[in-house]
Amino acid sequence: MQSLAIETRALVRTFKTEKGHITALDNVNLKVKQGELFGLLGPNGSGKTTLIKILCTLLYPTSGEAYVSGYDVVKESNKVREIVNMVSGEESSGYGILTVRENIWLFSQLYGIPDKVAWERIDELLKLMGLEERADTRVHKISTGERQKMNLCRGLVTDPQILFLDEPTVGLDVNASRTIREYVKKWVRENGRTLFLTTHNMMEAEEMCDRVAIIDRGRILACDSPSNLKKLVSKEVVLELETSLFDGIDLPYKFSIEKNLAKNTAKMRFLLEDESVIPKIISKLTENSIKLISLKKSEPSLEDVFIQLVGRGLHE
Amino acid sequence: MSILKTIKYSAWLGWEMDSNWTDPFLFFLYSIVRPIAGTFLVVLMYWFIKAPEDLFSLMFIGSIFYMYIFNVLFGVSWVIQEDREHYKVLKYIFIAPSNIYLYLLGRALSKTIVTTIAVLITGVFGVAFLGVKISLTNPLLFLLTLALGLTGIAAFGIIMAGVSLLTARHNFFIGESLAGLFYFFCGVIFPLSVLPSWGQIIGKMLPMTYWLEATRRALLGFGDPSLSDMPDIKILILLVAFAIGFFFISILSFKFCSNLAKKKGILDMTTWY
Amino acid sequence: MNNLRRNLKAVYARAYVRIVGMNREPSWVVFTIFLPLLSVAAFVYVYKATAPPEIINSLLARVIIGGAMLAFWMNVLWGMGNNFYYEKELGNLDLYLMAPISKTSILLGMALGGMFSTTIRAIATILLGAVLFNVSFTLESPLSLGLVFLMTLTSLYGLGMLFASLFLMYGRGAWHTANLMQEPIFILSGFYFPIKFLGFFIALLASFIPLTLGIDAMNQLLGGSFAKKWSLLPVNLEILILTGLTAVFFALAVKALNFMETMSKKEGRLTLRYM
Repeated sequence: MQSLAIETRALVRTFKTEKGHITALDNVNLKVKQGELFGLLGPNGSGKTTLIKILCTLLYPTSGEAYVSGYDVVKESNKVREIVNMVSGEESSGYGILTVRENIWLFSQLYGIPDKVAWERIDELLKLMGLEERADTRVHKISTGERQKMNLCRGLVTDPQILFLDEPTVGLDVNASRTIREYVKKWVRENGRTLFLTTHNMMEAEEMCDRVAIIDRGRILACDSPSNLKKLVSKEVVLELETSLFDGIDLPYKFSIEKNLAKNTAKMRFLLEDESVIPKIISKLTENSIKLISLKKSEPSLEDVFIQLVGRGLHE
Repeated sequence: MSILKTIKYSAWLGWEMDSNWTDPFLFFLYSIVRPIAGTFLVVLMYWFIKAPEDLFSLMFIGSIFYMYIFNVLFGVSWVIQEDREHYKVLKYIFIAPSNIYLYLLGRALSKTIVTTIAVLITGVFGVAFLGVKISLTNPLLFLLTLALGLTGIAAFGIIMAGVSLLTARHNFFIGESLAGLFYFFCGVIFPLSVLPSWGQIIGKMLPMTYWLEATRRALLGFGDPSLSDMPDIKILILLVAFAIGFFFISILSFKFCSNLAKKKGILDMTTWY
Repeated sequence: MNNLRRNLKAVYARAYVRIVGMNREPSWVVFTIFLPLLSVAAFVYVYKATAPPEIINSLLARVIIGGAMLAFWMNVLWGMGNNFYYEKELGNLDLYLMAPISKTSILLGMALGGMFSTTIRAIATILLGAVLFNVSFTLESPLSLGLVFLMTLTSLYGLGMLFASLFLMYGRGAWHTANLMQEPIFILSGFYFPIKFLGFFIALLASFIPLTLGIDAMNQLLGGSFAKKWSLLPVNLEILILTGLTAVFFALAVKALNFMETMSKKEGRLTLRYM
């Protein structure tokens, strides 16, 4: 039996606020195998970052247990720290006055990496990320994308057994996102490492992960491979409509709306049990003076699984 | 947005940013403890050495009005550092339709108001417990001096804010150092005549020296003996020139510095280490 | 062994940021050496204006020593106490807490880096001050002076580490507390006048700030007979107390840091930013 890289048992985390307690994680049970590319997919505020923080020893659970490579994250936090690293998409860490190379070196020293090994790895990583020309540039002068790549180098320079990536490509352009995804995937496969990725980008989860857990309001709703998850909606018809922009509409079907304010349009994605309701939807739109621009049937995605499980879209 | 509105909102923002970490009473206490302690340090030095009463009064007035120089001048230049590196909003202020110069003026206003409270409290304490005799022989001279001096100091602060756009975190020391410069050369806590001749020449070239002198004359009825050959009217003319001159210089220099910062691409640099 | 090596590396790396960071902007020479001397000069001239000639050298020596030591106090307040708070604001704190090292190593690194760069400023203040204001120091026991200086610094930075731990929890409020402490400590530590002038008991209370005893001892060793007349305690006893304070502050800092870290993780405040 393959040993577990991560395991959580009945994990709960609540936060005290002025209005009372809010539950960020609610009875989370997860098992991630070693060598696995595991994704946690959920909307903003669903508890993804809280879970990562607990697993990285930055936050205690309110109740329940969490283990990383068999080590208890509360009682054996030092053992956990030796084998993990974390990169967050929105982090602005580092010292602006140091160069890119120096910043990565600084954080490598906290893990006791010998200088020679650290510098070699840094140069190699910077080259792979296409950052070699910016190596000696001070951090306050580099772009957001370059900073994000630097952060990833920081996470990889310690060669962790388990890498936690928290929304690693948020705010990045298509090319930078692709570079990061491709590199991480290759690194995990070639070195037998484990990846724990949180994202609200279903494409990213689908493209990168062996298994995906869907989380909403602190609860794990489903956990399986992307293809198996999509089977949850295999009997349904996925209908994509592009319409003029509108405020809101009440329809008795499962659907998500993504508004494009720049183009003044809205994209509706329906998950229907029966194709025969399509004319009803169209006439309802017309009644509400919503102009139909295009209509197509499409393949189910993880977004549809989310709609199926939660009743609304990932981005709402 | 109108000029007054921008200044009003910036002053309000300054107050919020400076005070939102605690309740108003604590903030009030905080705002006065530091400057009072600064003044008290020199008071104790004078007591220790048993200095003459007149000299003590000169030092006391110099010391409390110096709070404006420190808080407003240093405070305004610190706004750039704080907005750029701490709150990271400097670039958004630059792209907003309101004028950044007016924004800084508004921030200076909020610091001036808070400092005035500290000056008043320390002043009352000095009169009540330390034997400082304030006669307010010339209220008009006092008000005019205060208005002109504060205009000049705020403008000076904005000139330094411009410089801060181009410098790293050491800006923290610019404030401290400039404060030291004026503390030393303007005869804040000792008569100018103690300085070597070259120091006196520099002191007599600094507008803050005359501002403090006019304030002392208006409040105590006497000033620094080494400036006694300067009639009040001459000092007032100097202060008018200081206020107007620095006001225009601050507009031009801030524009120059912000253009240079944009050219160098360092408007939003972070230099903490 | 591995653990020790890792922690030592962390100390060195954090100190490196301090030293390199400071020296990378050449403007630091002007801003941290020449201009602060002006504040010292102002206090020198207070005594030049008021003090009788027979004690003036001793008083000026006190002001210069005070000015030099003040650099350390400023560094401890702003570079140590506040630094965890700033690391949090910058987003580095998470990374330090997540690393397999003792957080004390980070504080030690900051302290050593800060000590190194501040010592340059302090030495410059003493040398320039002595030359510019024609002040002579009567060096009685170099060994004792070295010991006093070392123990003052270690206890002072121990206090800085304790501040850092406490400030970790209180964020922005702590920044203002540091601001609030700046000038009162100038008074209570006897930077510019003998602390005994405030009465023995106030002086004794003020001795919890390591600077008070350190400055008193340095003045006894450098300032001649007038300084001795106003001394608080014998130098050897002051060295002993400073050594004790070092141990106490250091132990308290480690304890406070662990406590704050645990509390923060429980309450989830570690990564909360006060923007």
